This record gives sequence, C-alpha cells and structure tokens, in this order.
Amino acid sequence: MTFRSLCRAIFTGTAIVLGLAAASPGPVCAEQVTIRMWMHEHPPRIAIDKAIIAEFEKANPDIKVDYAVIAVSEFSTKLLTAFASGSGPDLFNQSVLMVAQYYSSRVLAPIDYAAMGYADENALTSNYLTGFDGIRFAGKLYGVPTEVSNYACYLNNTIWKIAGLDPNRDFPKTWEEMPVLAEKLTVRDANGVPRRRGFDFDWPSGPAYWLTLNSMMRQRGASLIDEVAYKATFDGPDAQLVVQYLVDWVNKYKLGGPQYTDTRTDFLAGKLATDCSFGIWGIPQMHDAKIDYTVKPLPRFADAKNDNGYDAYAYYMMVNARSAPAVQKAAWKLARLYVDHAVELFTGAGLFVPRQDVMAKTADSDSQVFLTELKKAKFAPRVVGFNQVVDVLVRGRDAMMQGGQPVASVLPQENDDVNAVLKREKARAEAMLK
Amino acid sequence: MVGYFAVFSIFPVLFGFTLSLTDYDLLDPPNWVGLDNFRNLLADRLFLTAFANTLIFVAGATVPVWVASLLAALLFDQIFRGRNLLKTVFFLPVLPPVVVVAVVWRMLLHPNGVVTWLAGAWRGVTEIDWLSNTVLAPLSMIVVHDWAAIPFFMLIWLAGLAGIPPELRDAAHIDGATPVQTFWHIDLPQLRSTAVLVAALSTINAFQTFTLQYVLSPDPGGPANSTLVLGLLVLKYGFQYFRMGDAAAVSAVMFAMILAVTAAQLRFNRRAS
Repeated sequence: MTFRSLCRAIFTGTAIVLGLAAASPGPVCAEQVTIRMWMHEHPPRIAIDKAIIAEFEKANPDIKVDYAVIAVSEFSTKLLTAFASGSGPDLFNQSVLMVAQYYSSRVLAPIDYAAMGYADENALTSNYLTGFDGIRFAGKLYGVPTEVSNYACYLNNTIWKIAGLDPNRDFPKTWEEMPVLAEKLTVRDANGVPRRRGFDFDWPSGPAYWLTLNSMMRQRGASLIDEVAYKATFDGPDAQLVVQYLVDWVNKYKLGGPQYTDTRTDFLAGKLATDCSFGIWGIPQMHDAKIDYTVKPLPRFADAKNDNGYDAYAYYMMVNARSAPAVQKAAWKLARLYVDHAVELFTGAGLFVPRQDVMAKTADSDSQVFLTELKKAKFAPRVVGFNQVVDVLVRGRDAMMQGGQPVASVLPQENDDVNAVLKREKARAEAMLK
Repeated sequence: MVGYFAVFSIFPVLFGFTLSLTDYDLLDPPNWVGLDNFRNLLADRLFLTAFANTLIFVAGATVPVWVASLLAALLFDQIFRGRNLLKTVFFLPVLPPVVVVAVVWRMLLHPNGVVTWLAGAWRGVTEIDWLSNTVLAPLSMIVVHDWAAIPFFMLIWLAGLAGIPPELRDAAHIDGATPVQTFWHIDLPQLRSTAVLVAALSTINAFQTFTLQYVLSPDPGGPANSTLVLGLLVLKYGFQYFRMGDAAAVSAVMFAMILAVTAAQLRFNRRAS
C-alpha cells in the first residue's frame, strides 16, 4: 500500500464511520418537528427569547424548539464546528461580517416568504427603513435582521464642561478639527502621557477598526474593498490620507493608540471624554453608568466626497439550508414571530431594528442622530475570508503605529496581502461549489 | 490499553496528518490536495513569520532556562539558613496554571503598571508598552515564560544533584579540588542525563507554546504578528480562517520539528554516554 493510498484509506474510513453515524435512524417521532435554535449570549434578551418560544410552541403544538444560548466569544467557532459535524442549528443568529462565508458554503437557506406569512419580498422589506442589503446575495434574501446598528459619538458632558467646552457648540464637524479639540479634553501626566483621553478610536477590536477605516475612506470617496470585483482598493491617495490621519493621531499627536484600554470600557469608567464606538444600544448603558451624555454624528473630512458616518452592521436570523424542508419551514415561521417582537426586543434588550413600529419608539433627539446617520450608512463589504482580511489590516496598523513603518510602504503591501487573501478564498469557494 | 491509544492517540495523529493533505473549510467536504498545503507553507509569509518567532521563543525559553535553573538548583543544593522557605517561595510560580500566570502578568505589564514603575521610575518614564511594542512584546513573553519555567526545571536538576554519590565529591575535596572544579569534573558529567532531560522537556514545551501568546497579549499574536507562534497559527488557520488543511499542515510541521529536536538530543546523550 502506498503512502498516498494509506492516507486515503484513513480518510475514507473516517468519512464512512461519520457518515454511518449521521445516517443511522434516530428515534422515530411521528409528526413532531424540532427546531434547534442557537443564539449568542445577550443577557437582557434571553427572557424575551424564552417568552417568544413559549408563545410559538403554544400556537404550534407540533413544533418543539430546542433553544441554546452560547457565549459570544465561542459562538462562531461552535457554529462552524457544529456545521462541520452535521449537528448545526436549524435557526441561528449571526453577524453580517460572517454571512459571506456561510453563503459561499451554501449553509444559508433563502427566505421562505410563504412560511413566514408574507406574500413576497416586498411585503417583508417595505416595513423596514434599511437592513436587508447585508443579507442579499445574487438578488435573494437569506435572513431577517434582528439588529441593525451604526455607531455615533457619545460625549461625557461633565468632562466637557470641566474642560470649559460646550458639547453642543464645540463638538467638531470635521476630522481636521478633532486633534485640537481632543487635546483640550486630554489630561496628561508630567511626561505627557495621557491619563484621561479626550477622544480615541476603538483600536483593540478588529471589526471596529474595519468599520472605522471603511467609513472614513468612504467619506473621502475611497473604500477598502470592491465587493463586486472582489479586490482591495485602498492603495490610492484618499485611502492613504485616511490611514495617515490615524497614524498621526497615535504617533504625532499622541492622543491615544492600540496600547490603551478599549474605548467603551474607558468611556463608561469616566476615563475618556468622547467615544464613537457605541450604537443606539449604548443609551441604557449610559444611564446605568450614570453618565450625563450628548450624542453627535461622526465628524467628516473637510473636503469629504460623501456625507456618511459609520457603516452599518447587522445581526440576522438565518435558517440552515441543510435542515430538513419541514424544519426549515418551521424555522422561518419562528423567525417571523421573533422579528414581530421587535419593539419588545428594542425596549427590553436594546436591539434596534429600523422597522416602522420600532422607529415610532425613538422620537428622542439622541436616537434621531443614529437614525439620520443610518439613512446615510452602507454595509461594509461582505467577503469570504473576513477574519483573514481584518488580520492583515490590524497587522499593518501595528506595523505603522507601533513599529513606526511609513504608511506609503505598508499600505500597498497590505493592499496586496488582502488581494491575495480574497483571490485564494474566492478560488476556494468556487472550487467547493464545483 | 491498545484500544485506548489507538482511539485517543494514534487515530487523531493519523487523522490530523490526513487532514493536512486536504483543503477543508469545515463547512464543505474536504478536497484532496496532496502535498500542496506543505508546498504553500514555504511561501506563506504568515507561516514563515510564525516559524521565525517560534524559533526565537524556543531559543529564549531553553538556553536561559537551562542555565538559570541549574544555577538555582546549585544554590538550593547548598545548606543555608532559610533554604526551605526560600525554595518554596521560589517554586511558587510553578503552581498556578499558565492562564493565571498570563492574566496576572498582563496586569503587571500594563503600560502604566507595576513593572513600568519599577523599570522606568528612576529615569522618569511613566509609560512603557511592554505588550504593544513589536520588540518588547516577544521579549516579555520569554521573560514571563522563563519566570514560571525556571523553578520547575530547578526541581529536576535538584533531583539529579541528589543522585550524585557523595563519596565522589568527598574524594575530590580530599584531592584539593575547588568547588568550580568539583562542579565541572564531578557534578556536570554525572548530570548528563538530567541535562538532556531538561533540554528536551524545555524545547518541547517551548515549541508548543500557545497560552502565553494567546492570553498575555492584548491582541493574540500581535502587535504586527511579533508574538505569532506556530501554536497560535494553528488556531488562526483552523478556527478563524477556516483553513483546516493548512492548520493540520502547520501542526505536522510542529510535530516533525519537535520529533527531530528530541531525537537529536537523545542521540547526543547516547553518544556522550
């Protein structure tokens, strides 16, 4: 037996064992349908989830829901390994950042409008201001949004007033004004090290950095990736200017950087005067932290080509295309009931969806800032290999900000690296489809 | 017993190696690609970076550990007042799990933390990016590793020293040998097996490093991949990049490296004997 045939024999043997295990008949269950539903952990939402499930099971006695809550940090990995072993959930909630991966692997079932009780796509989407662009592939929708969000800037009024500034009058409209303003709010020690930052970007989170970069580049008419051509597009002068601005923020103005605690934690602890990494869901957190706050839109570049704030992101309720057809129908039916509780999910768990009924609850001026910005927002590019792309960007960021390498040399290299990732992942996805 | 090893040791190793010959994203069935994954690794900048970082870490986590733990053992082999208490205190870093060690050191190595205060206070420095600087971060990993590893290997050296027949040292003493001569001509040759064991264990341990780089660093593997080691790359490829075939190929390379180093050390020991 050759080495190659030995390896093949091992692999085939394993596949047969796993296949037999998967194909073995389980306990026969007459007409009962069981939906395995997986949600990531968000404590305020769990009680609402359970109430919705109870309502659903009461109305559909032939359908049972097997509900599981999984820690946020483990959710993606567990979902992936469950899909690999064939034990994945029938209905699950996941971020827009991962949907391209699932779509390319044909894990996602297109929406079954009839099962959801809608006549067609328009009957579903007409009730929403936005949110479906993130889950549309080749003209079809593969999920319903349970949260659509965008960031805006929260100002700690107390700190601003101590610094002699008026949050409403003095908050800058442009990025060019931001360093001067942030410096006024920054408290430094004798060595010039910030003890309290005036404003900083949310560096530690890769996805937040991705959103920041893409949003600021879009203001200048550039973007990180052309989702249609599947190519990185940040090697031009506009993109370079954005990255240079961020590098200067850290190395020239020394107003913050990736070495500091994440901005949300510091803002809620009163150690940061201004933070632009909270969504509308941040409002209850401000109340809990007893922070007197003001909400403002993200600054723009003085010569911005596009009037946009942060990109939007969303979480979707999706159905596993590998589940039995009857289970898929039942799952879409449950998804409908779930999103019909959007008002409750917003008021009880802070999950905002721009539906008419939810927007009616957001008349306050702070919420209006988010809504106005959301109307101008687009979804960041959805690509297979998202985690790899973000890693390349973060690696480049560190090389420039902490390794001191020049933007002009790092950015083209990053662009090439992202292109290499996109090319390989696209080829893999296409090979799998064959 | 044979069944246990077949199921829990041999099968996973063989399956892992088989996986390294496929392209597998966990969502679709594996595609047979032969040795492509291994060929691709040779041109993979991330792999080459992780490979180099691992070698640097191995160098920093073996040679200094070998020397320092031997010196510590020689010290605690002497009889002096308070020896047992001091030995216990010195051994304490071995007791907590690596995760706990990493979490505690992450606080100590905060840019404005205790270590900065100790290292920088005398020249007025109030902030040092121990874990966010591309040069300091890998060094910090090595220092924290060695801090916890030296007491452990000291115990092995002490066991080796205890096994040296006292009459050999007595004879050397009567012949007028100095302590250095006694160590060089009596202790060290007698400790050859212990030396190989310490070298082999510390090398294997260092090649497998993962927890420190994952927990201690604010951005696992960062900044700019300066602490990305092969163990971390396996996780990245497998469960973040969905490239299980590449992850298995990196694991196979790690396995081969550890096997080669251990075999070389054992061979050296046999020859020297």
